[in-house]
This record gives sequence, structure tokens and C-alpha cells, in this order.
Amino acid sequence: MIKHLARAIAKIQGLFRNSRVEEELAKEIATHLLYLEDEFLRQGLSPLEIHRQARLACGGVEQVKQAHREERSFRWLSQSLQDIRHACRSLLRSPGFSVAAILTLALGIGANTAVFSVVNTVLLKPLSYPEPDRIVQFWLNSTEGSVPGASIPDLRFWMQHAEAVDDISAYDLGEAVLGLTSGIPEEVHGVHVTSNYFRLFGAPLVLGRTFGADEDRAGSGKVVVLSYWLWKRRFGGDPKIVGKAISLEKEPYTVVGVTGESFRTDPEADLWIPFQFNLNSDNQLHYFGAVGRLKPGLSLSQANAQLRSAAQAAQRQGLLPDPEYAFVLEPLRDAIVRDARASLLLMQAAVGLVLLIACANVANLLLGRATVRKREFAIRAAIGAGRGRLFRQFATESVLLSTCGAGVGLGMGSLGVHALLSISPGNIPRIGVGGASVGIDWRVLMFTLGISLLVGIVFGIVPALRAWGPSLSQSLNEGNQRLGSGSSQSTMRSLIVLSEVSLSVVLLIGAALLIRTFVALRSVNPGFDRHNVFLMEMSLHGSQFATTANVARLVEDTRQRLAGIAGVEIAAATCSPPFGNRMGLPFAAIGTLSGNSGSTGDAEWMSVSPGYFAVLRIPVVRGRDFNEPDGKGAPGVVLINETMAKSYWAGKDPIGQAIEIGRGIGPDFEDRPRRIIGIVADTRDHDLSQPPQPTMIIPLAQEPDGMTRLGLQFDPIFWLIRTRLEPHQVAVNVSEQLREASGGLPAGRVRTMDEILSHSIARQNFSMLLLGVFAMAVLALTAIGIYGVMAYSVTQRTHEIGVRMALGADRARIRNLVVGKGMLTAGLGVIVGLAAAAFLARFLAGFLFGVRAWDPMVFIAVPVLLALVALFALWIPARRAARLDPIEALRVE
Amino acid sequence: MSSKDKKTHQVFQGTLDLIVLRNLATIGPQHAYQIATRLQQISDGLLNLNQGTLYPALVRLEQYGWIKGSWSKTETGREARFYAITAAGQKALRAETEHWRRTSQLIERLLVEGTRA
Repeated sequence: MIKHLARAIAKIQGLFRNSRVEEELAKEIATHLLYLEDEFLRQGLSPLEIHRQARLACGGVEQVKQAHREERSFRWLSQSLQDIRHACRSLLRSPGFSVAAILTLALGIGANTAVFSVVNTVLLKPLSYPEPDRIVQFWLNSTEGSVPGASIPDLRFWMQHAEAVDDISAYDLGEAVLGLTSGIPEEVHGVHVTSNYFRLFGAPLVLGRTFGADEDRAGSGKVVVLSYWLWKRRFGGDPKIVGKAISLEKEPYTVVGVTGESFRTDPEADLWIPFQFNLNSDNQLHYFGAVGRLKPGLSLSQANAQLRSAAQAAQRQGLLPDPEYAFVLEPLRDAIVRDARASLLLMQAAVGLVLLIACANVANLLLGRATVRKREFAIRAAIGAGRGRLFRQFATESVLLSTCGAGVGLGMGSLGVHALLSISPGNIPRIGVGGASVGIDWRVLMFTLGISLLVGIVFGIVPALRAWGPSLSQSLNEGNQRLGSGSSQSTMRSLIVLSEVSLSVVLLIGAALLIRTFVALRSVNPGFDRHNVFLMEMSLHGSQFATTANVARLVEDTRQRLAGIAGVEIAAATCSPPFGNRMGLPFAAIGTLSGNSGSTGDAEWMSVSPGYFAVLRIPVVRGRDFNEPDGKGAPGVVLINETMAKSYWAGKDPIGQAIEIGRGIGPDFEDRPRRIIGIVADTRDHDLSQPPQPTMIIPLAQEPDGMTRLGLQFDPIFWLIRTRLEPHQVAVNVSEQLREASGGLPAGRVRTMDEILSHSIARQNFSMLLLGVFAMAVLALTAIGIYGVMAYSVTQRTHEIGVRMALGADRARIRNLVVGKGMLTAGLGVIVGLAAAAFLARFLAGFLFGVRAWDPMVFIAVPVLLALVALFALWIPARRAARLDPIEALRVE
Repeated sequence: MSSKDKKTHQVFQGTLDLIVLRNLATIGPQHAYQIATRLQQISDGLLNLNQGTLYPALVRLEQYGWIKGSWSKTETGREARFYAITAAGQKALRAETEHWRRTSQLIERLLVEGTRA
């Protein structure tokens, strides 16, 4: 098959020396014709006739050349090159048009590339572990939703019953902030993990080992595995680090290993500490997550079926309260991106609409151009270009435009994505610190290339269909007279404007609904005073904080020191500040309700120091607040919130009643009976969009020791300070006093309550902002589109307008004619858009708060806004039409 | 041109290639008009050869590397492109001739069988 190879090479070479070959061919045929003419001359034909006969015998000079071209080269390739050359020339001839079209497309494609590169990183990229699809997380599903939390009895149960899952490991759901106290104290992120965690994730090691199974047991040695980055940064990559002790929270931990450079987990960690607990514990607290790996050959659904069939056993053991609860396995990646998925997909859909509208505008531009070039195409058809060939020419031009747009858009997108992430709330999973993991990879490139081709073909088809339109002679004639534009032409353009308007209606309604949601969230009364309050946090680990009494002493001492600082009004401490973590615990009402056995219900639980309600200015509705005498030795007291009073003591007075908290869920939670001494006002301090939950609050000094230990293991203690001055003016003094009071523990993360509240609605803020920007862009594009079509139509109809004026139409009438036609199209677009929005709004319901998906105000305001914009866009061409000089207009051909 | 009642034949692409090669091998380098005239002569007008159809065949053969074209003067002093068979062309000619013979023998045999049946 050498001959085919040789030929292919020759063909490719032929592409590059085309003009020389053409020249030689022309010469060769010329010689050939001379010989033929000689022959016909010999046969006695007249000199006039020989010329014709020679060409006939050859089968036509152009035909021979064409046959030669087709034989010597790849026809499609040479034609495409020809098309591309031609398209380049024709685009360069009208630079204004080309720049406008390329920029419009670049904006659309760039925005899509930016959003897609985030979607790609978060939703599409596989996790960076071996066989990531087989890593699953355990979830507890109920009718109220699902949580990834696990308790020790849960873990024990899964190890026994989930036979399809290997390497079941426990790990902290959030990272613990630990004080690394060797040398200069600094806070690092530590995660507690069980020993098989590293095997599950295939952790590479550069030094030492990971944890052994014996190190999972409660009370075994204090060991630590360092991440590569902490090892490099903090310990200078010391090759002899293994076996050395580092100090965490002032306690020595022995380094046993260092993980490889590429090993990153979610949550991200600087170091790992063994999760040491008694696997036989009955502690029902759900305080960690559990992951595992599907056994080879088993599918996720098989593993889930196994868990379902074990559900009854789990119920008997009290792990699943009722049949509505179930254990479910979910791929780890899905679990990580769960919260972000919907909003990212919403953004991708919205930005897709922007691109569609950008395309509509470019199609409009191209259509206008196609009309101007009608004669050019008619001539090309006349000299033998087939319609398919003309179609290809159009498609080539539009794909060339969209590819240029994509090139510029790719650049804009990669810049844009960092702008996008810099205003993002920072709670998008998997994007790394500051979005470092987001970049342009092959998927993004394929996406951009794909949409640019698609876009090029889609908007290229509209004008190309025009090339198939009226017959040749008609086009040739029509070019000469401008008496009205072809009616199919103006229908097409009206359709484009109509779809633009309807797409903008959809996007504007979406944006408006999110804006109303955000406004509603901003105006929710959280039930506490957020102004002039700031928080600092401090991790309390180690034996000195093993008892509640020690912690309470530190808190009391610190509160007094803080109160002495100028500018501080009052200070308090808690492990569960607003928008922090909070436990849910069962409680039993003693005496009056449901007898002495069993629990009455579940409620959120928190312990606070005196002053907590004063700092946040949460009113005590009835009864009294905690005060200093409510200490360890004093009778047990508890405050409940209004919702709890309403849900469990409807119509009765809860004050003076006794409850027992956490009975029967493990020795750590054993608590004495407590008397309800007061009712505090409800607060929305988890999620502004959620109604207040029943909550019970106990004095920090009366917390059972076991719960203090457990709580401090996972959460720092938060100092809440109400100031008379700007929080930042006193923060330095406060942190100094905190360090002195605690004997040198670092206190960090100054956050004002205002910041915390804004952060809690940051995601809604982000969605609103982004959709708002998209909606504005779309509104502008639509206005340009409407303007373009009507301005063009006025130019086309100049002669007609002249006739109308000559027949007596006054200026107002002409203006109304133009405005009326434009508004009719826009009006139809609005109707279609409203119908589409009404259909699509349901998908937005999950993002909304305080506004219905079919909010009448939005559904009225958006059409009015669009009508105003359309009117504005129509005004300029309408005025121009009205000001035409009839004499001049009539002269226009 | 000799007579209109003789049936003229369309030639297959491969056949034309073979004929052109054979012709160049026997007579030596020729230009396109010479080849066309020669083909008409030896086929006694049986070949209905539009002289233009020769060009694609020449391109094809040249791209295979079987013939080579070069410019020189004819005896009448005209500039013409003369085509000569190459070594690869000679080899290909032998192989193609062999292939053609076998094919035609086979077809001949099948046709004879057909008439007997």
C-alpha cells in the first residue's frame, strides 16, 4: 500500500504549492490545445471552428482543470482551506462587524468557560484517590433530610453488617483547630482519623508509617502523622522527624509518619491524630463521619440493599429511631459536593442563557450582512457554486467567528473565573485555597471548543438558510431596489428578537426572585443584636481542661479580666455560638409529662456562661437569666426558648418544671434533673431561613464533665464580647487578656457578629450577585438586538416611509408605526418568556426564601422593565424614521 | 472516428492507468496529446476517450510515483510536459499486468462455464 501512502503525501504537499501546479497545468493544457487545433486544421476545418472543436475534444478547459484538482488533492480539505481563506478575507473587509460579533461571542463563551471550569473542578473531576468511585460515605436519612454523622454504636453496627464495605473508617467531619505549640505557637488544622483511613484513601508516605490498629483504642499513645506541607513548612523537611515529639496544645505527640506531597483530604488537614475511642461505647452522639471502600465486584446498590436488609437489627439496637430512618451509602464525591451542586448547575444554566442571547445578537448581525451580500452570493451561484457550497461558505464564516470568539473567550474565562471565585463565599468544596484547584484542563478546553462549534453552526444556519431562499434571478433583481425587505427576512429577524426577549424575561425573573430572597433574608430578625459584638476562639485541649470546674474557672477569670478592658461592655463564653455547631439531645420531662420513663423529645442543647444573653441582647421573656451562683454546687437549672415552651408545654407554664437531659444515651451524657427557671426569646441562629428549633440552655459551670471533654475535643471555646467601641479597636487588648488568662494559649479568628451573619447568607448573596450581573448583560444585549433590528428595518423601509409621508402620514404616525411594530414583537417575546419562566420557576423554589416562585410582583415588574427597555431601544430608530425628509426618502432606491 | 457503428467503450480507471503505463514503457517519454492520440490509434477508435479524462490518470500515476513529468521542447519547438515511466512504475506495470491477466483469465473461464451450463 506504499502507493496510497505516497499519494497521500503528494496530496498534502499539493495543498501548499497549489498556485505553481495550477500554472503548470494551464500551460500543459494550452500546449495540448495547440496540438488539437493543428490536427483539426489538417482536417480542413475553418480557423474559427478549430478553436471550438479543440476545446470540445478536450471536454472543456475548466472541466479538465477541475477534474485535475479533484484528483490531485483532498477535495474537502482544499475546499475547506479555500472557504477559510475566503471567510478570513470577507471578515477582514468589515472589521466593525467582525469585532462586534467576536466580542459578543467572547463574552458569552468566556462567561460559560469560567462557570464551567468551576463546575468541572467541583462536580466532574474525580477525587484524587485510587479508584475514587468506590469510596462511599455513610449517611443517616430521615424524612427531615439526611446527615453524614455517625456515632460509635453506628460504626460498630456497620462493621458487623455492611459486609460489602471494606476499610470502614471514622474521621472528623470538620477540622479541629489545634495549637501547635512547639516554638512559635500557631493554629493548625488537625483531623482525627481511625487507622484504616490512610489505607482507604491510598495515602502515599514519604517517611515512617501511619497509625496501627492498636492506636485506635482509647488511651493508647499520643501519635501524629504530618502532612507533607506542614512537614516542609514548619519542620524544614527534617528527614529525621519520625520518632521526635511535637507539642500540640502543650502536650507531646510523637511523629510516626509524613504523607506524600499529593495527598489531600476533605476536610483539608495539616496533620492527623488517631481517633481513639472505646468501640464498645454506647455513646449515641453523632460526632464523626464514616467512609469505606466497596468490596471488589460489588456495586453501590448491592451494598445499599445489604444495609436495608439490616435495618430491623439497627432498629432493635436503637440506632434507627423508627422505620422512616435509614442508613444509606453515597459516593464520597457526591457527598462532598452535595450542597454546592444545585447552585452551580443553576449558574451554568443561567450563563448558558447569556450565551444563547449573545448568539441571537450575532445571528442578527449575520443576517443583516447576508442581506447586504445577497448579490455576492447570487453571482457566485450564477458562476456555478452549488447551494451546498454556499451553505458551507456561510457555516465556515460563522464557525470562524465563533472560534475567534472562543479564543478570546478562553482568555477572558480564565481571568474571569478568578474574579468569580474572589467574590464567592468561599464555601464551594474542592476548589482549593483561593480556587487554586480551578484551572483550564482538557475538559474545559473540549467544552469551550464544543460550544464554539455548536454556536457557530447554530447561528450560522439562520443566514445560511437565507442563501437557500429565493431564486437566483430574484436575488439579483432585489439587490437593485430597496422597496421593502423580503418578508421571510423580516420574519426571521423578528423571531430572533422575540426569542431574545423571552430568554431575558426568564433570566430577569430568576434574578429578581433571588434578589427578593436575599432582601428577605437580610430583613429576617435573627432575634439577637448583631451590632458591636465580636467573637474570638480558643482551643482548649489537654488534661488541664478535663473537668468542667477547670473550664468554668478559666471562663470566670477571663470574663472578669475582659470586663476590665476599656470599651468592653460585657463578655461571655460558649462552645455553641450563633451559626456554630450545636448538639441535639433527648430530654425527659419529670413528673407532669409522660411519666418518669422514656424521653419526651429532642431539642438543641447548649451551655453558656453568665452574660451570654446580655451580650447578644436576647430577652429573657419570663423567669430569670443565669447568674454566678448557678454553679456546680447549686441546684440544676435550665433555660428553654419560646419554641420549646410552645412545643412541649402548650397552654401550661413550664417554669418550675423539671427535665432530665440526655438520659440513656451513654455515661458521658448522664446529667442531673434540672428545673426550668426561665424562657428566652427565640433566635434564628443556625440558618436565617429556618424557623427556630426547640432549644435548652444550661449554665456552662453545670455541664457534666463528660460533655465538656467531648465538646472541647471538637470545638474551640468562643468568647463573645459586646463593645462600646469599634470591635477592632479593642480586639488587641482582648486577645492579650485571653492569652494571659489561659496561660499562653493562642486565641484567634476575630469575627464580628455582622460578618458571621453576612457569611451565613453569603451563598444566596453570591447567587444573587452573579445572576444579577448575567441579567444586566442580557438586558443590554437584548436592547442592542431590538435596536439593531428596528434600525435596519427603518433603513430598509425608507422608500416606503417616504411614500407614506407623501400620502399624508404625519411624523407621529410614522414614529408610532415603528414603535408599534417593535413593541408587538417584544410583547410576544414577553408572553413566551413569562410562560417559560412560570414553567422553570419551580426549579428555583429550593433557592428561594420569603418569596414564592410565582411571585406576582416579580412577574409584573420584569415585563414592565423589559417594555421600558424595548421602548428606549426603539425610540432612536423611530425618531429617525419620523424625521426623514420625504423628498430624500423617495429618492432612495 | 473511423465508424459510428462500432460500439465505443468506457474504460475503467484502473485499466486506463495500465494502458498509459504500458504505452510509456513501450514508446518512451511522451506528452499528454501524444499519449491521447496513441491510445486512440491502438484502440482503433474503440476507446471513447475524452482527451481531458487523461489528466486525472496522469496526476494519479505521478502521485503514486510511477511516472514522472518534466518540461522540455518538442520537435516543433513547443514547451510540453513529457511523462516518463519510473523504476517503481516498471515494477508496478509488471505486477498490474500479471494481476490483469489473472483476472481476465478468471473472468473468461467463468463466462465459458456460464455458457456450458
